[in-house]
Amino acid sequence: MTATPNPLASEAPRRAAGARALEHFLEAGFARIEPPILQPASSFLDMSGEEIRGRLYLTSDASGEELCLRPDYTIPVCLAHLASASEPAQYAYLGPVFRARPGQRGEMTQTGVESYGRADTEAADAEMLALALEAAASAGAGSLKVRIGDVRVFDGLIGALGLADAWRRRVRRGLALGKPLATILGAGNGANGQAGVLAALERADHKGAKALVQDLLAIAGIATVGGRDVSEIADRFLEQAAERAEGGVGSDSQAILTRFLAISGDPDASAAKLRALAFEAKLDIGALVDSFEERIGFLAARGLPIGEFRYDAGFVRDLDYYTGFVFEAVDAQDASAKPALVGGRYDRLARRMGAATDIPAIGAAIWIDRLPLAGA
Amino acid sequence: MTDNFEAPLVIAVPSKGRLQENAQAFFARAGLEFVQGRGARDYRGAIADLPGVEVAFLSASEIVGQLAQGLVHFGVTGEDLVREQVADADARLELLTPLGFGAANVVVAVPQAWIDVRTMADLEDVAAHYRAKTAKRMRVATKYVNLTRRFFAEHNVGDYRIVESLGATEGAPAAGSAELIVDITTTGATLAANALKILDDGVILKSQANLVASLGATWSAHARAAARTILMRIAASEAARRTRAVFAQLPIPVHEQVAEAAQQFDASLAFGDDSDPQGFVRLHCPKNKSAELAAWLLEKGAERVTVTALEQIFDKRNALQEALEARVGGL
Repeated sequence: MTATPNPLASEAPRRAAGARALEHFLEAGFARIEPPILQPASSFLDMSGEEIRGRLYLTSDASGEELCLRPDYTIPVCLAHLASASEPAQYAYLGPVFRARPGQRGEMTQTGVESYGRADTEAADAEMLALALEAAASAGAGSLKVRIGDVRVFDGLIGALGLADAWRRRVRRGLALGKPLATILGAGNGANGQAGVLAALERADHKGAKALVQDLLAIAGIATVGGRDVSEIADRFLEQAAERAEGGVGSDSQAILTRFLAISGDPDASAAKLRALAFEAKLDIGALVDSFEERIGFLAARGLPIGEFRYDAGFVRDLDYYTGFVFEAVDAQDASAKPALVGGRYDRLARRMGAATDIPAIGAAIWIDRLPLAGA
Repeated sequence: MTDNFEAPLVIAVPSKGRLQENAQAFFARAGLEFVQGRGARDYRGAIADLPGVEVAFLSASEIVGQLAQGLVHFGVTGEDLVREQVADADARLELLTPLGFGAANVVVAVPQAWIDVRTMADLEDVAAHYRAKTAKRMRVATKYVNLTRRFFAEHNVGDYRIVESLGATEGAPAAGSAELIVDITTTGATLAANALKILDDGVILKSQANLVASLGATWSAHARAAARTILMRIAASEAARRTRAVFAQLPIPVHEQVAEAAQQFDASLAFGDDSDPQGFVRLHCPKNKSAELAAWLLEKGAERVTVTALEQIFDKRNALQEALEARVGGL
């Protein structure tokens, strides 16, 4: 009873499964939304980066604007939500998404939910995961193994260590790429060969740094051109000078990070380990762990077998609009399967897409073709 | 395409400019003279003494497309275009040999004013800053969309957007339509004139024109025979171009000297015989070592050493043929 490798052979049962999952979302009060299949490609490239270009089915209209077949629902639903400007809003969807992958079918079916505007963060987090798992079950899916993470705890810990923002970015990205921590921390900021400038700037302020950069450019006879101005270049030198003076990530911080990333397994036990680490290392992340535990409480109250879930401290997504809870679930019988259910909180997405402020947002998506369906 | 043994072997070569002249000269050196059809504007030609071979004059990017689709057997084109246009190039094509012309590098270039940016790691950092500050991604102007995407991914640079540019890419940063570029450069002069600099580790590809074989073309018995002839002649003229013949008379026995010449100067006996009773030896050595070898032979007792250029060296086996046979079977 593993996931069927050939979706064509099981078109009808999977279609029915998708319909049953959607039905579950609609009964829970979510409103059906059906955004256009043809979407502006720039939305996806801006949000996910050029790396997804290779997976998009691209085309263009008569004016030359790049369009693509939607690779997911999250961004189209967000655009539709911002256009309608009603909130809070709870959406459910079911339909095809398109991703180009060599040797595989490019069209797949997704169903899922998007919730905008709910202020009760932890309750909403728990509800969305619960709802998605219930929908998968009512679609006929066999048992799924759930993995959870918390981007806010991750970011909070790095912040509490007093590490520069650049380090949070590098570590998050490095982990998402599957690199070991030592490699990520060893890479540094690439300030090799600039030691002279950096030493000169060690005690400089912004004004001084700017003057120095201006002088350097004048001596070299370079007219400033393109993208970044003298101020930005000066600020980056200052940041590098500060980082250089600190000597990168200290061994204490590195040890704490290593201990943090090793925390995984039972969510309740993990929360206790997070607290112990915070206490011993004198890190002010208590409120974040409170929120983490509160969410576990809500999940347990929904009757979910929280003891069977697995928390991973290093489970974060590389997309910077993710801000909190993240989760995924795979076929419990097939450890190597791709996640059949994925989701998370992305309070920063709406603003990235053009809203004036952040809007609380969380979503969950089910890949119908990856669900372990009995008899499919 | 059906396996028609009458169908000609097709070689695609650039239809205009320096690349065409160089390609034509390259084949002519191998004794393969292009005969253009009626008038210089005809896009199909032949090779003077080699029936059953067709020469197709195409634009450089068409050549890559036709090679990838298996519509032509051989093509002369830049490696940059091959890597850019064909996702699984190594599975569909065999780059038989670089041709020594059309050299150019595909590079990442940023404004010279970015004195804090020297490496791809710097660029990663700056691009992320830029995005955090402006909520936009840095724009990279290029026609090498795929090469850029692959190279940036290797260097973990994620915060950028590609702006496709089909001409005068180097002007994009000054015009404000991009922050940096990925482009082809030969001397770097155009980049410098536009106040751009190449990142220290920003060379994506050192490209030059290559003789490329299509693995998906119809390799009929006829095409294989023609390919064997063509590759044999190219290999013969290329080997000759790199080699000098060195002739001398040494005190016998010459055995030790020949062994030492092999060690020091990569020299070898042209016909594998060092038993000449009068001590005459005919050596082949790399062109750039012939003068040193000659001086050394004089030291070893030769009265006179002659060095001659060679027209062609035909060997029983040649590397080009072996490279193609490894992919499509015996020629």
